Amino acid sequence: MEVEQLKLENSSAMTFDEVSMERSKSFVMALQELKNLRPQLYSAAEYCEKSYLQNEQKQMVLDNLKDYAVRALVNAVDHLGTVAYKLTDLLEQQTLDVTTMELKVTCLDQRLLTCKTYTEKEGLRQQQLLAIIPRHHKHYILPNSAGKKVHFSPQVKMDPRQHLQAKPRLYPSGTPAAKTLSWHLATETKSTLKGTSRTFMSPEEAKGSEKASAAFNLLDEENTRKKSYVARPQSPNVGPASSLAMQTLGVTRQSALEGSKPLTPYRSFDNPRREIIRAPNRSRSMLSAFFVKHKAPKLKTSAVS
Amino acid sequence: MARAGGITNAVNVGIAVQADWENREFISHISINVRKLFDFLVQFEATTKSKLATLNEKLDILERRLELLEIQVSTTTANPALFNV
Repeated sequence: MEVEQLKLENSSAMTFDEVSMERSKSFVMALQELKNLRPQLYSAAEYCEKSYLQNEQKQMVLDNLKDYAVRALVNAVDHLGTVAYKLTDLLEQQTLDVTTMELKVTCLDQRLLTCKTYTEKEGLRQQQLLAIIPRHHKHYILPNSAGKKVHFSPQVKMDPRQHLQAKPRLYPSGTPAAKTLSWHLATETKSTLKGTSRTFMSPEEAKGSEKASAAFNLLDEENTRKKSYVARPQSPNVGPASSLAMQTLGVTRQSALEGSKPLTPYRSFDNPRREIIRAPNRSRSMLSAFFVKHKAPKLKTSAVS
Repeated sequence: MARAGGITNAVNVGIAVQADWENREFISHISINVRKLFDFLVQFEATTKSKLATLNEKLDILERRLELLEIQVSTTTANPALFNV
């Protein structure tokens, strides 16, 4: 065995296949030698039997037979050990070769996987570059504005049928805005707020200054009535009595006249400085109705003077 | 003379018996060693069989993986345009 190991060490320049072949050859030779021991032992046993029967010195034959048996047994054990060792070494080498093959196959699998992933990524990249995938539903995209920015101007009439992109309307500052519904509503609210601010008092001051406000309101009413009477040409047929009656009925007449005025929708908005009469009168009508009866003689005296 | 002959016969028998016992002891030693050798061989056969079975299984798996690799490589080589960037 030591000689064989030395031979293997000396043949280090041999290739892997040659080394494996040498190992297999040595195993085969050891196995062959073990197999050859059987006929040798059988022949030795027959010779010892014949010599013990034929020879007269039986004790000497017996002693030789004992020595030969011991040597044969030792030789057999030696051969069996060699065969077992060589077989175990061969199996270990084969297992190692299979393990290395598995590692190589795993490496190839990983390479193939990387190639596949690369091809898939490249394909996706090319598809992304070529394909134009719309991000929004076509319901919200204009037919001619693919990728273009649409600017809206206030002069452009908005067609409800057109599907527009979600962009806010921007009116430039300083320019007159289009007379849209929202604009009208906003102005109306402003005007109403201004009008009501004159008449409506805070709840804290309402109680204490109701009378004063009523007085001031009546004075305003008187001024407006005077103006209305001055502006309107009196009929010649109307006498002083009728004028007094007119004065008493001025509120109702004025309101009727005011009610008979043609209500243009945009007249009030044209003149922001208009005299706000309607809203206050409506709210003051109740108060004026109460106070007219008490101050009727005063009006008479003022009209006479 | 008879007594001397009887004594020699007894001594010879004793020697023979002792030789017989030695031979039997020798035979027992040989048989025990042979049985030990037999047990070693049985154990060696079992371990070698298990090692060969595992090696066979590994080889089968390796063969299947190699077949799969071969098919995959053949499909990829069939379309060389895939690798044209």
